[in-house]
This record gives sequence, structure tokens and C-alpha cells, in this order.
Amino acid sequence: MFPKKSPKVVIDYTKCGEKGQIDPRNCTKCLKVCDPAIFILHESPNMPIDPVDPKYWRITPVWLSLCNMCMKCVKVCPLGAITVSR
Amino acid sequence: MCDWCMKHGAGGKWYMNAKNYSNELAEAINAREYLQEQWKAFEMVYIRRIMGITSIDLGYKLQLPIIGRLLRWSAERMIHSEGKHRNPVRADGHFGQVIPLEEAKIILGNLAAEPIIENYCMCRWMQRGIKEACCINFGLLSGVIEKLPRFIPKDTKYRLDRDEAIAHIEEHNKKGYVATVWFQPVPYINAICSCENPECGGLRLRNDFGLHTVYKGEYVAEVDPDRCQACGMCVTKCQFGVLRLVQSLKRVIVDINKCFGCGVCRHACKYDAIRLVPRENYPALRGVY
Repeated sequence: MFPKKSPKVVIDYTKCGEKGQIDPRNCTKCLKVCDPAIFILHESPNMPIDPVDPKYWRITPVWLSLCNMCMKCVKVCPLGAITVSR
Repeated sequence: MCDWCMKHGAGGKWYMNAKNYSNELAEAINAREYLQEQWKAFEMVYIRRIMGITSIDLGYKLQLPIIGRLLRWSAERMIHSEGKHRNPVRADGHFGQVIPLEEAKIILGNLAAEPIIENYCMCRWMQRGIKEACCINFGLLSGVIEKLPRFIPKDTKYRLDRDEAIAHIEEHNKKGYVATVWFQPVPYINAICSCENPECGGLRLRNDFGLHTVYKGEYVAEVDPDRCQACGMCVTKCQFGVLRLVQSLKRVIVDINKCFGCGVCRHACKYDAIRLVPRENYPALRGVY
């Protein structure tokens, strides 16, 4: 009756993102390594909005149902900020 | 002929109707305000809550019983909305269609309203973190995007004249990118993109979730069995997995049910064996976009 649950992909925003050690715009390794392209780079919703040139960015795993749990993103992340689980 | 041609095509294809490109139409539907709101935070479109629901794990949500069907119905309604109170931040009334290179050239050469600019592709930026200047925008949208520095190429000329725009779309198409033309919002046309699957937000929703953000083109590819030398080069170009090299037949076959009619495969063929034929030629494909 209910569809199969998607894998859980979680990014630790204390490591990557607007409050993390690096600006995700300068890394984007997970976005590029993911064959199904499940990640989205976007402005951080928790920070003051700059409508012309946003300064604060984060990455959200959006298309979770397409994740194959290949773990490439976990391995490539220089901060170890990504976890993938069932 | 598709529904949008009936409504906005003036007896032909919707994207061949000059009226849909005009500044008068843009003003009549308040396109400037819509586009400003839409573009200043476009990357947030999947993250935002829309009626309490975000696009996060959309694939799961769409498969839920009852809720999934309701969600699909309301998403399609939003994508195709022609109402007065369209919400720009969720891209109401924003969808497109695949077109072959020849038609993209006609649009850029004759129909597109000036100024014409080429800016960084939004989708490749948000899905891959890549800045690649391959989206050709025109009319009111040019002025809106020019004010957003993250989309404007720094060291290259981004304002194009018609001949330059045609040369650029040809270059992208030959590289393997699919030309698409966009309502934004319907019926105002202001963009020709060079899309890649699955990076394109529209193709993602269409191919992975079955939402009609991008319609298939008016054509399908046809392989001439006498000319095909079974080199398989075209297979490497197809973004939609439509072509297959069948060794026992010594030729390439086309899955026309899946073909988007972009014509990109033609550029890879040294033997001139692939041509585009109108979708209407196949009775089973009539009206199937």
C-alpha cells in the first residue's frame, strides 16, 4: 500500500553551510559526484535574505527517492558532513 | 497539435506565434514583477513549502495513496496555471517544450524580443554547482537577470546580437545539449535553454516524476536503415536513452515512444542517416507529448 521509503541523506550544517567551515559554493564535490544529482545548492533559508547577491548558501539532498546509496558523497565530502542511511 | 498550440499558437505551433514574444503581452500579464520575484530566489523553488509541502523526497510523496494523486494534480495545475494570481516563487505557469536546432534558429533570428543575453544556467548551478553560460534569454527577462550578478558571465560578452545567439545555440546543440523553449509565465516566451538530463530542473521533473514541465518536441528521430553503418555514435549523444545499437540488425533503432525529438543525435551521424519526422506522422504518437 505505502511506497518504499527513500534513503535518508543528512548533511550536518554545523560542518557545511552558512555556519560551517567552508562555503558550499567553493566545494560542490557532492553535487558533482552524484550520478542521479539528488543535491540542490541553494540560499540558506535561516539567514537574512539578500535578493541581489545571496551570501549564505547550503546544500540540501532533495531527490531522495533517486538515491542508490552508493556512498560516493560520503567518501568525497572533505568535512565528513554527509551521512546516508536507510 | 498540442493543447498549448490550440490556445496560443494562432493556428500553428505556440512557439512560432510572434505575439507570444511581444513586450505588449509581457506588460499585459505583469511579467516584469513575476520574473523579478521568480529569479531573485530561483534556487529556493524546491526547498520552499508550497501549501505546507516541499519538493524534498517528492518521488516518495507522489507515490503515496490519495495524497500522491492530489499532489500530482495540484502540481500540474500550478505548472500550467494561466490564472491572474500566479505565484512566481513557485514558478506557476512556467513550462517548456523541446525544439530542434532549426526552429531555435528561427526563434532567435526573427521572433525573440531584444535584448538577447546568454547567462549561466540556473539548473546546472543549483544541481551541480557548475556555472556554464548556455541559457539564452530575451525580452523583459534579460533586464531582470542582468541585475543578478550570480548569473552574469564575468569575462565574456553576455549581450548577444541575433547572429551571435544563433551561433551559440548551434554550438550548444552540437555539443549535445537539448534546445528547449519556455513559457515564463504562459503565454509569454522569453527563454531558449540548452538542457542536459538530469541536471535540468524541468527534465528532472518530467523524466523522473512524470510531471509535464517539459513537453516532447513536435518531431521524432528516424533512422534510415540503408545509410546507418552501425557505428553507434548517435547512441552516445542521446540524453533520453532512446537510441540503441542492435548488433544483429547492424543498425540503430529508435524508441519513438520515448523520443523527445531534439535532433541532437543527427550531429553525431557521419552518414546522414538520421532525420527528424513530424510526430503526427505516427498515428500512435498523435497528441502524445
